[in-house]
Amino acid sequence: MTSVVPELLIEEQRPPAAVHPARRRRLTFARVCLHVVLATTALVWLLPLLWAVYTSLRPYAETARKGYVSWPDGLTLQNYSDAFTQGELPRFFFNTLIIVVPALLVTLLLSSMAAFVLSRFAFRFNLLILLILTAGNLLPPQVIITPLFQIFRLVALPTFMNSDGTLLNSYWGVFIVHVAFQVGFCTFVLSNYMKMIPHELTDAALVDGASVWRQYFSIILPLCRPPLAALATLQFTWMYNDFFWALVLMVSGEKRPITSALDNLRGTFFTDNNLIAAASVLIALPTIAVYVFLQKHFVRGLTVGATKG
Amino acid sequence: MEQPTASFPGLDRRSLLKGMGLLGAAAAIPGLAACADTGTATPESKKSAGKASGTVRFGLNANAAVPTAGYDSVFAAFEQKTGIKVRTNKLLYTEQINNYLTAAPDDVLIWNAGYRMRFFAEKQLVSDVTSVWDQVGSNISEAVKQACTAKDGKQYLVPFYNYPWVTYYRKSVFEKRGYAVPKTLDELTTLASQMKRDGLTPIAFADKEGWEAMGTFDILNMRVNGYDFHIQLLDGKESWDDDRVKSTFDTWRRLLPIHQPQALGRTWQEAAQALGQEKAGMYFMGSFAVDQFDDATKEDLDFFPFPEIDSEHGQDAIDAPIDGFMMVKRPDNAAASQSLLEYLASAEAAELYLKTDTNDVATAQNVDTSNYTVLQKKYADVIGSSKNVAQYLDRDTRPDFAAPVVLPAIQDFLKGNGADIDGITRSLQSQAKSIFAS
Repeated sequence: MTSVVPELLIEEQRPPAAVHPARRRRLTFARVCLHVVLATTALVWLLPLLWAVYTSLRPYAETARKGYVSWPDGLTLQNYSDAFTQGELPRFFFNTLIIVVPALLVTLLLSSMAAFVLSRFAFRFNLLILLILTAGNLLPPQVIITPLFQIFRLVALPTFMNSDGTLLNSYWGVFIVHVAFQVGFCTFVLSNYMKMIPHELTDAALVDGASVWRQYFSIILPLCRPPLAALATLQFTWMYNDFFWALVLMVSGEKRPITSALDNLRGTFFTDNNLIAAASVLIALPTIAVYVFLQKHFVRGLTVGATKG
Repeated sequence: MEQPTASFPGLDRRSLLKGMGLLGAAAAIPGLAACADTGTATPESKKSAGKASGTVRFGLNANAAVPTAGYDSVFAAFEQKTGIKVRTNKLLYTEQINNYLTAAPDDVLIWNAGYRMRFFAEKQLVSDVTSVWDQVGSNISEAVKQACTAKDGKQYLVPFYNYPWVTYYRKSVFEKRGYAVPKTLDELTTLASQMKRDGLTPIAFADKEGWEAMGTFDILNMRVNGYDFHIQLLDGKESWDDDRVKSTFDTWRRLLPIHQPQALGRTWQEAAQALGQEKAGMYFMGSFAVDQFDDATKEDLDFFPFPEIDSEHGQDAIDAPIDGFMMVKRPDNAAASQSLLEYLASAEAAELYLKTDTNDVATAQNVDTSNYTVLQKKYADVIGSSKNVAQYLDRDTRPDFAAPVVLPAIQDFLKGNGADIDGITRSLQSQAKSIFAS
């Protein structure tokens, strides 16, 4: 069987080319159209990114003189080194890690627990609870920013957790917001996946005397590795890309994660757009890398649990 | 003047704004700021020391090269002098000033004079700095003092520098084509038609973010109706559907053909580019515009104050916004903040800073101008010789009127190429009436 499949494919591709020239031309015309459309779409999508890269390689004085739509006199990496030194990017990358890595782990832990209970045990309100968790996802987070800002301002933290003594302007605040807003989606995805795992597995474990915790930790969780990997990829990208929360909830420039820190590179009036383009490209690299190398997980993250098993 | 969005976060930072925008500008201001004046003590312990020492936290309002380097040198000198360390918070808070002042992570911060300051003084988000003024006031002009004084008669801002709004041109172009600096409106329009014949756009013009054209309104209104009327109007004491305001807009309408068209789609940086590329002959903008040019072009730049329109007022007024420093309501280190503010008001601090920021001129009167650049000297002359100095539209009127009401009205005016002046002024007046009544 395994040897037949490739041959069949080859057979199907070759004969039309040789035997039916007319059919081939028709196909080619359709294909040309298809490829033109695809190439155009790809270009439209890539253009802003490529333009940012191009801009980032040109000195500001040159683009100010000739305009952004012009041929370069010479390309330079100066903007990138400026972004690193003047923009202090390494520090802000580190801030992002401080927020995103714990938030990711806690989100997955909490949502897998919730999903386990909601999908593996039948009780009166579990559908309702799942609905509430999912509905929370539909709420635009920006709506609650004003009350959240005030609450965070009034919640005291010990100074070893935040030198300002409040939840506002602390890594904890942004961490909590991320966890709260992502748990709903992850629970939804994980519970759909867990529903597909045969009940016989946990039933057998129950007969052998496994506690609920044991069933969760030793049976279900290891089986959920694929959706967990997918969600981790997706969630990392989302949390990493977040611009809004830290912008509002952090008022010390040095604490901000990389995305919001970019905002501070603007001047009150004068903004060196080429420098910002360079910093943006650097900031986009990790997400692009995650996407390229973990593409499979990425797609699965969006579709896992979409079909009912 | 700058980012018009100070107290109106909805304008420019789209992402943030999505959130704040939903609340509406008017709601956002009391929304975040109101809670601060309930007197609820923040958990931070605010202690005041007797002898100034320790660290002052300073809100720098950018992480960009230009202000940062200057302040670094000022703070280094201050530390050497007093032993007090200054820790900077490089955060662009212009568009989130409500959040920033409510959370108050710093002791002292950079801010603007006029209503921009008054608004927060009335919200009691900042402390009065009259004790600093007692020490340094004799070195500051009365006009500047007025701009730093709130309704209660106390000063809430320590001024540092100001910068004029003037018409830039390139010396080489004027020389090559034999242009002369216009002194009156007639000379300006004659020059403009000559420029058009020579294939130049007479005046580069932008209003994409909405605050840029406020400068043009200011200067036209001050030239046509005089400084006093302008200030009364912005203070809500004159009517916007007055014939005098209409005549300002009408003058502007007649001048629109010599401005770069489609201004709403152009940033001020792009408009400056037109002057840099010698596609435009003149550019009316704040002096920060100079940053946009490369060194060779900077050498070639010169400027003149906007020409006279009505001989009764001549060229006796100018927009020259003042920037300075405020102190938050409960600074962590009040004594050190006080000595930092006193130092910042000194000529020494201004001289150090202005070496790196050559678009501004000091407000301290005993400053040594020998290190000023050619343009800086001329800025100081132009501001000094103006009988009246305004702050800019969005600093001379309430923030909840400037950005939410005047800004879109001017954009509508430009969109319609000056049509419907009556409708625009009527709508301005009806909104002004309700806002200034509140």
